[in-house]
Amino acid sequence: MPAPESREPAARTTAAHVTLHALGLRRGDRWIFRDLTFTAPRGALVAVVGPSGVGKSSLLATIGGLLPPDEGEVRFHGPDDARIEPRDFQPRIGLVFQNLLLVANSSVLDNVLCGRLGRFPWWRTLAGFPQRERQEAYRILADLGLGAHAHRWAGETSGGEQQRTALARALFQEPEVILADEPVSHLDTYLTGRVLGLLRQEASMRRRTVFCVLHNPDLVERFADLALSLDPLDPLGWRVRAVRRPS
Amino acid sequence: MNPPAPASPPTARPAEPVLPPLPWHARLNVLNVTLLLFVLAALFSLPALRGSGRELAYWENTTRFLGRFFPPDFSVFPQILAALAETAQIAVMATFVAILLALPLGALGARTLAPRWVVGVTRLAMNGIRTVPSLLWALIAVAVVGANPLAGVIGLVFYSLGYLGKFFADAFESVDVDVDRALRALGAHPVQAFQHGVWPHARPLVWSYGLWMLEYNLRSAAIIGYVGAGGLGVLLHSYQEYYAWDKFATVLLCILVLVTALDLLGEWVRSRITRKSVAAPRR
Repeated sequence: MPAPESREPAARTTAAHVTLHALGLRRGDRWIFRDLTFTAPRGALVAVVGPSGVGKSSLLATIGGLLPPDEGEVRFHGPDDARIEPRDFQPRIGLVFQNLLLVANSSVLDNVLCGRLGRFPWWRTLAGFPQRERQEAYRILADLGLGAHAHRWAGETSGGEQQRTALARALFQEPEVILADEPVSHLDTYLTGRVLGLLRQEASMRRRTVFCVLHNPDLVERFADLALSLDPLDPLGWRVRAVRRPS
Repeated sequence: MNPPAPASPPTARPAEPVLPPLPWHARLNVLNVTLLLFVLAALFSLPALRGSGRELAYWENTTRFLGRFFPPDFSVFPQILAALAETAQIAVMATFVAILLALPLGALGARTLAPRWVVGVTRLAMNGIRTVPSLLWALIAVAVVGANPLAGVIGLVFYSLGYLGKFFADAFESVDVDVDRALRALGAHPVQAFQHGVWPHARPLVWSYGLWMLEYNLRSAAIIGYVGAGGLGVLLHSYQEYYAWDKFATVLLCILVLVTALDLLGEWVRSRITRKSVAAPRR
């Protein structure tokens, strides 16, 4: 069995941000992955790849604290490398769910605003969000080409528009870590490049760590720093490699 | 000349598939069984059709009684309009208060939002409220606050609460809980997750049920006056006492017009808002 060091490339940019330590998740009697040890440096875009049904979404849910692991733990680190408890780190995680989970009967703008509900006490948002927040949410929508749809009901927009709305909600949250589960599965080539470019920018410019489930190897090579493969044929069920991304 | 082709052996035709008979127990589904029980119950209820036993001229009685309704006496229209306005006020106020009270009650009665024991207690209370008819609630209210429109409002609020609480609870339960959970995962407080995740989906249903209750309360408010709770019922009662069936007919016509208008309006609004609500995300 190869040594863990050979499975996990050294962090090539900066200090650790998210560490998966001997992580294991079981579905019934079957291990989806086990002994998964991996460190994502701050500002890295990690592509999570693997065949359908292998457990990529489950891995993201485990990192996001939505699924408790059966073994090991997820560690989060602050800028000074100090460890932060997962419960305290939870509000700093932005999620783009595979099934989007938008509020279909709310406007696209309101859906994006929901990304910041955690910043306000519950009584503060009873009568809506401050105008400044609404303006900022609109700016993100415009960046994603959704400015004209801000006041349309989310349920009335197309699949691709909904996908970008879900991404806008996660970005509006201004999270330290973004977990995006197949964020470009409904988008055409142009929008795929635009959305992944935006995530790439969030990682490089704003030092946000992005875990992104991708199926297209070309996109992994173009946008990711690291590729974390879940492979049922691998003895451990996972493998990590550094991507030689074109500059 | 080519030699004749050898005769090919006759091919055996595949056996005709035989439709298997439907087993007897497959017919014993819930629909059929309850239908059968209902028919048996109807047979068991035949004695209810037994009249007084006396030879009465039913048709003559009917035509003579209904004949007194025509022509309607429209000279009492001003009094009827005033009573109609009071009836509408009773119905609107009762529905408004009932909706306000039923919203938290519905949240407490939704299995997806409240702990199991709270849901059990709330639903039990709402069932209890529903078992008492609106006329009885009005009678209790008249005994407490006297014969006035307030008694009508109180009586209808209690009656509506039993229904709206249950309808709202069902509406909240029909909302996909994953959206609520997703917002909580993004850091939302449970109240925020309800306001921004559950409420937008439940709102059309809540308003639709509210409109239905308003229609219902308008009809009820016209009747509860019989026990002194104000509105058109007071007029109906007095016209009946004095056998003024032509005036009685005018009141009935007014109620018919009002209820039909509200029914049509409610139907139109409901069709608009529920059509919006079922617009599922296109994937």
